[in-house]
Amino acid sequence: MHTRIKSVLRTLFRKARLDRELDEELDSYVAMVADEKVRAGLSPNEALRQARLELGGAEQVKEKVRERRLGAGLDALFRDIRFALRTLARDAGLTLAILVILGVGIGANTALFTTVDTVLLRPLPYPEPDRLVIGLKTMSGAVSGPVSRVDYFDYRREVEAFDQLALLTTFTEQFTVTGGGDPELVQGYWVTWNLFPTLRVAPEVGRSFSADEEVRGEAPVVIVSHGFAQRRFGGAEDAVGATLVLNGDALTVMGVMPPGFRFMYDADVWRLIDRDGPYDTQRDSHSHWIVGRLGPSVTLARAQTEVDAVATHLAAEYPSADEGKGVLLSRLQDYLVRDVRTSLLLLMGTAAFVLLVACSNVAGLLLARGERCASEMAMRTALGASRRRLIRQLLTESVTLTVGAGLLGVAVAYLVHHLLTKLLPVGDLGIQPPALNGPALAFTLLVSVGTGLLVGVLPALRTTSTEPVGQLRSDGHGTVGVRSGRLRGGLVVIQVALSVVLLVGSGLLAHSMARLVDVDLGFDPGNLLTGQVQIQATEYPSVEERTAFFTSLLEDVEALPGVEAATLSNKLPIVSRWQDWYIRRSDQPPPPRQESFSAMARWVPPGYFKTMGIPVLEGRDISREDGAGSPHVVVVSRTVAERLFGNTDPLGQMVNIADWRDCRVVGVVGDARINTLRGSPDPAYYMSMAQVGSTRLQIAVRTAEDPLLLVRPLQDLLRR
Amino acid sequence: MASSQTDVLRGTLDLLVLKTLTLQSLHGLGVARRINQTTDGTFDVKPGSLFPALHRMEQKGWIEGSWGESENGRRAKYYRLTAAGRRQLGEEKENWAQVVLAIGKVLEAT
Repeated sequence: MHTRIKSVLRTLFRKARLDRELDEELDSYVAMVADEKVRAGLSPNEALRQARLELGGAEQVKEKVRERRLGAGLDALFRDIRFALRTLARDAGLTLAILVILGVGIGANTALFTTVDTVLLRPLPYPEPDRLVIGLKTMSGAVSGPVSRVDYFDYRREVEAFDQLALLTTFTEQFTVTGGGDPELVQGYWVTWNLFPTLRVAPEVGRSFSADEEVRGEAPVVIVSHGFAQRRFGGAEDAVGATLVLNGDALTVMGVMPPGFRFMYDADVWRLIDRDGPYDTQRDSHSHWIVGRLGPSVTLARAQTEVDAVATHLAAEYPSADEGKGVLLSRLQDYLVRDVRTSLLLLMGTAAFVLLVACSNVAGLLLARGERCASEMAMRTALGASRRRLIRQLLTESVTLTVGAGLLGVAVAYLVHHLLTKLLPVGDLGIQPPALNGPALAFTLLVSVGTGLLVGVLPALRTTSTEPVGQLRSDGHGTVGVRSGRLRGGLVVIQVALSVVLLVGSGLLAHSMARLVDVDLGFDPGNLLTGQVQIQATEYPSVEERTAFFTSLLEDVEALPGVEAATLSNKLPIVSRWQDWYIRRSDQPPPPRQESFSAMARWVPPGYFKTMGIPVLEGRDISREDGAGSPHVVVVSRTVAERLFGNTDPLGQMVNIADWRDCRVVGVVGDARINTLRGSPDPAYYMSMAQVGSTRLQIAVRTAEDPLLLVRPLQDLLRR
Repeated sequence: MASSQTDVLRGTLDLLVLKTLTLQSLHGLGVARRINQTTDGTFDVKPGSLFPALHRMEQKGWIEGSWGESENGRRAKYYRLTAAGRRQLGEEKENWAQVVLAIGKVLEAT
């Protein structure tokens, strides 16, 4: 075995010596044959001449020996590559042009492949991710968002198809951390004890929640992220067992998740959902997602059947809350990427097209060059080079070129990739951001080599098919020119066709984009800085105190230089979505659940509409008089008014909100796009902040100039 | 006749050369002459086939070449069979026997 390896190396690196020995050997052969002939009676000269004739062409014999040496193929490849590099260097302009053209094409494809690979093919870094499902609430068959915590417990108890069924909130919260260090705000969300077992991810240090901690009511436990443990406690080991005070609750840290762990949202802490809360105290409230892992060899269909059965039985048992309600299961992978799948596949197709256009272009260029080299090829054919050999060399040349372009492409891919991750809302999907890695580079290599073969084969075949005699004539045109011209014309047609498709496609996309940008939001988003403010419920126990705090906060903010206006809301448009509650006329009985109308519920201070740029169409804004002791008021959006009251004047009418409170309609405002830019504006109604008294609100500050300039002053203000 | 000879020769040249070298070391010309002699002139190995074969076998380690002096005092490269070469010869002999048997069966069949 290693004899062979040594031989290959010798063929590659000791060529001169091998050739010299071969020469000697052949000379000795000729001499000995001549000797034989001399003994047979010929003269020495004649004997030598005949001996040489018998040998045949010495060069040809030597060539045959060289061809059949071990490692000859490799040697030929290296020689071809060196020759190719020299040829390409001679034609530097053309080479550079081709490198750039193909580099961009290959690079774009690599970048997209990386994204597609990570986002569509492997978005979830957990064991057996295709067994994970997500459950969404349906109302009369149509999907309508989050599920109820109370319902979840029933499903968990009764459905057997799942290995584990867990729950998590659909939003993250900011918690104030106090005690044992600087106060800071951290982000977290609530999960049931079995979320991490469902994902099959265990804390790096410590342990996950246990089942009995769920029943304990206010179980004082929490799990933290690696980054937070490092920051707050100086390390994962030190964090476990330590006390963490969140919003005044003292919690024990049970475990620290591995670095880089993330599910759905960025979080520093994970808090435990228990039998009583903290959200969705009623069956009728929906603020969570269900996530489950299918049991071994359980199909999604079977799990869905079981879930439907439980849904039916819940609807019968709790008709007021659960009539018409169901849960739809879908694979978590599919659900997370649903928004971007089409876009990504479209982009991928586009990039492939771009590469094809580039390839046709380059093939045409190489074809033209081949024509120029036609006489050189003819000469080499005449000297004895086989057509296969020439083709192999030309292909080596084109592949060398495209591999070079591929290297350039990796650099391009890096840039495009950066751009893609900024533009695609990948982070929001709750999955890991893609990175250029092994599979991507392997893909690049594959595409490069493939491109080289594709691009080179046509010119190679065309160039080597000439008759040497015709080419070597001094006027050397032959019939090659005409045929090659037709072929090049064909390539141009291909390029034009592909380009037209690309142009039309991008035109349509640009048009859609323009329409999207132009869409009337219903409010003015210019120069608006947003943030979140939270106060401790214990420090401001009464509604009046909370209102006073927020009102004075607004005054202070508006006093800052550069601030035109400031306002608050429980959820600002687009930035924060959903929270829709039922609303109906007070003078009518509650309709059955399926026919209930819900709209976005918001509570705001006076001046909200003016600051946000939402027009007040009728009646008045919330005013200072609408405080805690005064009659409850609400301002509705136009769609709500039309839906509830038709053509009659809504002002002065009473509406019932979520079976919780009756309010008088005092104003009508324009509809705004609250949830998403697509589709129509969302119906909404606005209550007085002073009459709701929450401790957590979002702040919107309209600035005269760049909003980011105000970040620092605002933070300083809030800190106090 | 000539072309089919070349075809057969190409497939079995290794075998013939290895066998020829079992008795004594020979230089290239010597191998060709010995094969010619043994086959009563049926196989005339030309240098264009001989040297590529010899060199390839040498690279595979089946034969070993060393420079020495010929009968007439000429400098010549002599080849001798190695242990690996002996093993290879055994394999090639077996393969050949199988081929002959198979062809025989085809010819016998009606």
